[in-house]
Amino acid sequence: MKTILVVDDSTIMRKIVKNTFETLKIPCQYLEAENGRKAYQLLETNKVSLVFLDWNMPEMDGMEFLKKVRAMPDYKDLPIVMVTSEAAKYNVIEALKHGVTSYIVKPVREKIFKEKLSEISF
Amino acid sequence: MEQYIKPFVSVCEIVFRDFCQTEVTAGRVFFVSKDEYESNWDISGIIGLSGEASGAVAISLKSATAFKITNILTGSEHNHIDMYVTDAIGEIINIIAGNVKKHFEDELRIKISLPSIIKGKAHSIVWPSEKTRIICIPFTIFGDQEFCLSIAVDPTK
Repeated sequence: MKTILVVDDSTIMRKIVKNTFETLKIPCQYLEAENGRKAYQLLETNKVSLVFLDWNMPEMDGMEFLKKVRAMPDYKDLPIVMVTSEAAKYNVIEALKHGVTSYIVKPVREKIFKEKLSEISF
Repeated sequence: MEQYIKPFVSVCEIVFRDFCQTEVTAGRVFFVSKDEYESNWDISGIIGLSGEASGAVAISLKSATAFKITNILTGSEHNHIDMYVTDAIGEIINIIAGNVKKHFEDELRIKISLPSIIKGKAHSIVWPSEKTRIICIPFTIFGDQEFCLSIAVDPTK
C-alpha cells in the first residue's frame, strides 16, 4: 500500500486531505507532520510515495522543505503536491522553479484534487 | 482603500462556500481609525502583511459562530474555544489572505504571516499600521449570526 505524507500545521487541513483520499477510494496509509522539519525526519525513516505539502508553517516552511528534499538525489523524483492558500502567480512560479510536482490552491476542491492526482499518475 | 473591498468580499464568500459549505452575505462596509476600533467579539484570527504592502487582515467572531464553523469542518461537536476552534479560525483567515493576494499579484508582491489568534470577550486588536484607516466588512452567516473581516493595508512601494 502506498504511503502519503501530509504536511500541514493545521490538524483540520490534514484531516481534510485524508478524507478526500478516502472519498476518492484511493487506498493508502498516511504519515502526518505539522512542519517541514518533522516531515523531513519522517521521510528519512519511511518509504513515502507522495507528499502533500503546505507552504506557510512554523519552524520549517514548505518551500524550505521542498528545497532540502530536492537537493537529495534519493528524493529528486518524489512527487510533491503543494496544497497552500498562496494563490498568487509568483508563488506558483517559485514553487515550480524549486521542483514541486503539482500545485493546489486552498480551499481544496475534490474535483481539482482528483485532476491533480491524475496528472501525476497517482 | 476602496479598491481592497471587492476582492476581500468575493474571496470571503468563496472561501466560506467551498471550505465551510456555508453561504455568507456582506453587509455595509464601514471605516474606522485605529484608535476608534472596538471589538465586541470573542475570537479573532489575524494575518500580518509585509512586502510591497504592510498591515493586517483579521476575522472576528462570536464564539457560537466559531463553534458552528468548527463543527462543520471537523464533523464533531465543539462548545469551547479549543485547539480545533483556533485551528479552524486560523486556517480560514490564512486561506482568505492567501487567495486575496491573487487579486493584487500584478501590482503588489505581498507576503503573509502565519495566523495568530486572539481570544477573550471584547478583546482588542492593536493594529500594526499608524496611519491607515481600518476597513470593516460585516458578514451574515447561518441566517442570523455575524462576523467581521477587518483590513488595514498600506502599500509600501
